[in-house]
Amino acid sequence: MATVIKRFGATDGWVSMPDGTDHYIFGFVDISVVPENQIFQYRGKATLLAPLLDVYEGDEVYLTLTNLGFPNRPDLDDTHTIHWHGFPNQIPLWDGVPEASISVPVGRDFTYYYQPLDPGTYIHHCHFEPVEHIQMGMVGPVTVRPKLEKELGLKFAYNDENTAYDREGLIFLTELDPRPHHLVANVQEFDWTEYSPEYWLINGRSYPDTVKPANDQSMPQQPFSALVEAYQGEKVLLRFVNIGFQQHCLQIPGVPLKVVGLDAQQLRGYNGEDISYWRDVIYIAAGQTMDVIFTAPRAGIYPLYNRNLNKNTIAGTEFGGMVTEIRVSPKP
Amino acid sequence: MPVIDLWAKDGYLSTPDGNSIYFWGFSKSETGPAQLPGPHIVARQGETININLYNTLTEPVSISFSGQSGIMADGQPVQPQYTDGKLLSFFNHAEPGGMVSYTFTPSFPGTFIYESGTNPHKQVPMGLYGGMVVRPADYNPDAREFKTAYGAGTDTEYDREYLLITWEIDPDMHQAVEEGKPYQVSKFLPRYWTLNGRCAPDTMLMDGLDYLPHQPYGSMIMGQPGEKILMRYIGAGIENHPLHPHGTHTRVVAVDGRLLRNENVDLSFKRFTVLVGAGQTYDQIYQWDDLGYTTQNPIPTILPNLRNMGVGDAGWTMWSGSPYLGVKGDIPVGVVSYNEFGEYYFMLHSHEELQITNWGEFPGGMMTMVAIYPSLSPAVGILE
Ligand SMILES: [Cu+2]
Ligand SMILES: [Cu+2]
Repeated sequence: MATVIKRFGATDGWVSMPDGTDHYIFGFVDISVVPENQIFQYRGKATLLAPLLDVYEGDEVYLTLTNLGFPNRPDLDDTHTIHWHGFPNQIPLWDGVPEASISVPVGRDFTYYYQPLDPGTYIHHCHFEPVEHIQMGMVGPVTVRPKLEKELGLKFAYNDENTAYDREGLIFLTELDPRPHHLVANVQEFDWTEYSPEYWLINGRSYPDTVKPANDQSMPQQPFSALVEAYQGEKVLLRFVNIGFQQHCLQIPGVPLKVVGLDAQQLRGYNGEDISYWRDVIYIAAGQTMDVIFTAPRAGIYPLYNRNLNKNTIAGTEFGGMVTEIRVSPKP
Repeated sequence: MPVIDLWAKDGYLSTPDGNSIYFWGFSKSETGPAQLPGPHIVARQGETININLYNTLTEPVSISFSGQSGIMADGQPVQPQYTDGKLLSFFNHAEPGGMVSYTFTPSFPGTFIYESGTNPHKQVPMGLYGGMVVRPADYNPDAREFKTAYGAGTDTEYDREYLLITWEIDPDMHQAVEEGKPYQVSKFLPRYWTLNGRCAPDTMLMDGLDYLPHQPYGSMIMGQPGEKILMRYIGAGIENHPLHPHGTHTRVVAVDGRLLRNENVDLSFKRFTVLVGAGQTYDQIYQWDDLGYTTQNPIPTILPNLRNMGVGDAGWTMWSGSPYLGVKGDIPVGVVSYNEFGEYYFMLHSHEELQITNWGEFPGGMMTMVAIYPSLSPAVGILE
């Protein structure tokens, strides 16, 4: 068990799509190691996705949210929160629902405390006017690693040797409707019942950007790559997250997928029965997470894409969108 | 034999943003208001029930009882109804001004939907639906072992139970039906989303309010720490809705009124989001356990001065102002707190977040709260 101290700044920024368009976002930026007198340099530098919170079962996590304000919308003094989506037995103080506890005004800090006891894949997101703040980009991944990893010095999704893996990838799904982003940037209202996304994102990027490396300089505010690389025969854990507003269905033709966890619960029955299962297509609802393991097949490139084929597009025209690649190399 | 009368009628439902929307619904009696959803039906496994449908609307109406077999209508097995070779109803219907009498014997316990089987693409989105709970044959609310969803020995004991029925409203459709104008169902575009026929924040109000005469059912889920709270979800709309309760996972014990168990293998599972499909039902147990913080065992963080924090930005809050269950703190002046006894509130909502708006305005729609009280009367959370 360790003590994990993190600090996320809430602010705004811009993301770019492969068709050359830029879109205004709200989001978080990791300022955990930034000296206090320099945090304001991070205003306007929100990232999509928000920073990963990566902890071990049993860790004591102190996560401070600092509201840095919106330099692109100085008139807008929205408060923010962090909601750890799926945290069991939470108390309202750290649940991040403004209507049921505290939210954080501009220039203020608030520290959330978590001691996660159940390994798995979770989500963190702002819960202030969630339809707006989630669509605007205040969403990020949370992974809780099992203590079995520390005991055996190997990698596992859950406290079960059957969930061993060699490499992991994040497949974090969101949609982007450019209209509310544009309207919010221009101090106008959007009727959310008209929501109709045009960009389909994995890890905050649209293909072909999804396969660019992490922290690619062309997309400073979209640091997460969605490229998955492995050697033939390795076990790969994919952590699927859907924090869009629609159901999605992902497939990797030629790669059978074993679903071992859902909503941060290993697929074990009440009395330990193995209820994991195989799928070719991963159906995932808004607000769900899934842990899927596959064995890397013979060397080659395996596209991962959305079987709602309309979502493999950029602004409804070009091929792209919710697509990435699994690249398998021959055994070294 | 229990006899239930349902009157198909019209009425006006209200939304929190001040809209009044024409709808069709079932009423308990000739003089009572049309209800959204229809009156809860509580039946018992193995006990034959009789449901009389009286139709005061201008077109035929029938009822589909999902999960039930051997249904009789006026003494004959139910059959689809045709006029001039065209399908009119999936089941025997009541003509305008007429009635039809259904009888059946629920053969297994569970949660079910009853809904119109006539012009269902219109009548169900207009409001002709309701929830039905079938008690197990050995049900006895006075004995813990027998106060179960699926019978003694099925690991489905519960302390309190709640029904949550999802549905959507496209006001254009309701207006077209009211004015007798054509409506193209393929243009269905909901602007409101409901739990038990109400949009948030009305979902959090009590049952049976005078000013919501057509929407008698609240959706506030109430319980105590450690209790087993049975949540019965029903998807009565034509869309799927991912319902996510904060606070903790639910354990899904049954789908479509079928216990998740094969012989001795328990197939129940825990989820933090359950996708309630159109026509589906999910029975789940929500059990929230306290993290153990009290004023004697304080939280490991410092509670900031609440005047420097966002509390009740909407003008109101459900919070007590304290981190501790059963304790009330200092809510900043000018903020109305609906917190009574230091209870904890956890939001429960659709994660297709546009659905927690009323015509695009947050908060609203398919959202309610789970309230965990330090202590709560056993009379709360009973379905009748
Ligand atoms: Cu926010
Ligand atoms: Cu939520």
